[in-house]
Amino acid sequence: MTNRTAPADKTEGKWKFGDLLRDARVRDRWEKVRKYFFLRESTYDMTNRCNIRCDGCYYYEGEKQFAPENRDPGSWRDLMRQEKERGITYVVLAGAEPSLVPELLETCFEIMPLGSIATNGFRLIPPAVGYKIHISVWGNDETSRRVRNAANLLERQLDNYDGDPRAVFVYTFTRQNVHEVGEVAERIAARNGKLTFNVFSAPVGYEGPLRHDRSSLLLTRRAMLETMERYPESVLFSSYNVAAHTHGQGLHALYGCSYPRRNASTDIGLGRSFRQYRADLTWDRSAACCVPDTDCDDCRHYAAGSAVVTARLFRHAADPDTFRSWLDYVDTYLSVWVMGYEKGENLCDRLVDPPGFSVE
Amino acid sequence: MSDVKDIEQHILRIAQIVIDELRLEDVTQETFDPDLDLVDELGIDSMDLATVALVLQDEYGVSIDEDDYPKLKTLRLIAEYIRTRLQEKAA
Ligand code: SF4
Ligand code: SF4
Repeated sequence: MTNRTAPADKTEGKWKFGDLLRDARVRDRWEKVRKYFFLRESTYDMTNRCNIRCDGCYYYEGEKQFAPENRDPGSWRDLMRQEKERGITYVVLAGAEPSLVPELLETCFEIMPLGSIATNGFRLIPPAVGYKIHISVWGNDETSRRVRNAANLLERQLDNYDGDPRAVFVYTFTRQNVHEVGEVAERIAARNGKLTFNVFSAPVGYEGPLRHDRSSLLLTRRAMLETMERYPESVLFSSYNVAAHTHGQGLHALYGCSYPRRNASTDIGLGRSFRQYRADLTWDRSAACCVPDTDCDDCRHYAAGSAVVTARLFRHAADPDTFRSWLDYVDTYLSVWVMGYEKGENLCDRLVDPPGFSVE
Repeated sequence: MSDVKDIEQHILRIAQIVIDELRLEDVTQETFDPDLDLVDELGIDSMDLATVALVLQDEYGVSIDEDDYPKLKTLRLIAEYIRTRLQEKAA
């Protein structure tokens, strides 16, 4: 849907916000997504171990891997309570592999019922842990064996999370696996699984073969659009997600990253509230972002985008298509990250420019 | 209109906008403390501020710079900000 309506009045040549909301579908979507503006996230490394080892893993870059694990549920319970007190409403449990500490996941869930877990899906996280579960998929089985040293990984992931409403499969496009998404999506769709897309974002200093270049980003863009079209019931994504995450510029250049690592301001938003805890429950403002030790110039990570693009509401309230695109992005993000949130139909199918940039 | 009256009028209108947009239930236009810190004391976040800023732009026909959000800390500061913008526009 890309139909335009003329603004009744203009503020200094721009569309008025009220005019953008005049379309009933747009207004309904705005009301749907704004109910979640209360979400305030922080992220937590649950372990410093993983049961597989992938090339290009950002967890094993930088200092965070050396933090000793705190495996005491009491300490985690206290931390969650403190986090709640300072206004955190949403937890992202990640690095290195959270499924290795199910008891800690249960403890977090008891206190903070909204959140998600990033896992390789090798081990099933107990059903009692009612968070969204993001299962990383890095290509077909052959690629997984080569890059992640894991045999039949997708089959295992699909078996573990068959019919599980918590599960979202996150396909990470690297420079090498763009052409494999079709077969992976087919297998996930055949099991009625949900799929979303990530773009490999190189860790600082990484110059390996997974790092994208301009041509692999354009191929990724095409593959994303084709897969969305072929599996509309399975794929949680929108044209604007495609535009934002396959752009030659990274997310920081396009939108200005709001995470503390790139944002000195503590006045408001993520710069004020976001913390990234290591497995020993310490945190470091200078490193704090949802994908620490990622090269900011190459950052197109889905997790980063969820906050960075969403935070730029003001810039996207510029014209009907840009605003619809932003709504699609937020709707996608909520469906991927929030249990029970159902994605609506995308409002804008064309590739809209990120504000101030050309999509090409 | 005197400056003080002018600001008081703006504060009342802005209070109503904030109440409506953020669906505040336990405060009215008249009881909304104009010096309450919206971020520290009311707990509103950048998304809420962006929403309020968009509605204020419509209401007053002035542009609000995204970088100025941290300045919009209380109803009074918002009212003063709007007045300055209106004066700049009129000049
Ligand atoms: S599964 Fe995740 S944490 Fe483990 S090595 Fe691979 S990328 Fe790193
Ligand atoms: S890696 Fe991405 S999310 Fe992290 S600070 Fe850099 S741009 Fe922001």
